[in-house]
Amino acid sequence: MLLVLSEEHKEHLGFLTQVDSAVVGEFGRIAVEFLRKGTNPKIYEGAARKLNVSSDIIQHGVEGLTYLLTEGSKLMISEIDFQDSVLVLGFSEELNKLLLQLYLDNRKEIRSILSELAPKLPSYHSLEWRLDVQLASRSLRQQIKPAVTVKLHLDQNEDQTTKILQTDPATLLHLIQQLEQALGEMKTNHCRRIVRNIK
Amino acid sequence: MELSEYVQSGLQTLADSGCFSPSAYTVLLQTAFQSLLNAQADQVALDHPVLKHIDPTVLKHCHAATATCILEAGKHKADKSTISTYLEDCKFDRERIEQFCTEYQKNKDTLEIILGSIGRCPLHITDVSWRLEYQIKTNQLHKTYRPAYLVTLNVENSDSRSHPDVSFSCTMEQLQDFVGKLKDAAKSLERASQM
Repeated sequence: MLLVLSEEHKEHLGFLTQVDSAVVGEFGRIAVEFLRKGTNPKIYEGAARKLNVSSDIIQHGVEGLTYLLTEGSKLMISEIDFQDSVLVLGFSEELNKLLLQLYLDNRKEIRSILSELAPKLPSYHSLEWRLDVQLASRSLRQQIKPAVTVKLHLDQNEDQTTKILQTDPATLLHLIQQLEQALGEMKTNHCRRIVRNIK
Repeated sequence: MELSEYVQSGLQTLADSGCFSPSAYTVLLQTAFQSLLNAQADQVALDHPVLKHIDPTVLKHCHAATATCILEAGKHKADKSTISTYLEDCKFDRERIEQFCTEYQKNKDTLEIILGSIGRCPLHITDVSWRLEYQIKTNQLHKTYRPAYLVTLNVENSDSRSHPDVSFSCTMEQLQDFVGKLKDAAKSLERASQM
């Protein structure tokens, strides 16, 4: 699958031919940093002064590069497809190799950043548990009532929440049995076949 | 067992065969137990024909006193001799004491269960359901290709009302961690019960 680049996009990327490879590498680093932490316009101004061009051109260059990298990572295009997509820009052999390297080096990280944009439910973080035995209460003395108290830590969009829950021994064994069945499902032929065939 | 003046005087009236004939005693005794143990007993059946000739105020007093006595006995897991002694002090005759104790013995376990279930506790897990899915793509990321579990714990409030369930997603490794910790808890429960 090839990346289709618009005319405007190609124009923005055109700026990269006018600078040397160290600068392209630097732009690549800035692009990934912006993906990690958000954009910082001051960087554009600093670079614009150093290279003696307007900051708009720098911004377009970095944004064009960012789009190239994120689209490629999103679609998980192969090396060959990436090279072919970039070929249409008419860059030098050296620049093409640099762009490919930039793509391959950062693809995994960009994909992990993109995966955080998906709709999500709270996810499991960890579990702490405690064994209690209730001995008496206001309404009944001389009891022996075992219970397991758990503290469930969940993550949701960078917030951590905890829930305090309790259960009795019989339910605990039932939970374990049910969830072990759940774990066993991944090993069945049905699931294995699907995992093998959907690529 | 220590009970208030009000309860003691109610029981003494109940003991009096001038006030309560043997059949009236039987009916009141059974009604008292039923009103405590039977969840549907909203309207206490104090309008039994055998009780008709007894003054309603007296009836209510004796009924309340009996119910309180039953609850106190249940709360402290009183044995037959404790109950007998107490009823003797309230001037119950042998036969009425026997009847009371028999009725108490019959309903003791249910009574303890009900008393034991009163109280506060953290949200109680009653069941679990799970879903296994295989993620293929999102609008921001294609070819994700990984399995994920969605686990829902059904929880109840301390007064047996249901509460929104606790749901979370997890990978296979995380679910293994979760189940592993639950198994540790179960193992330590087993060891504790053998001590």
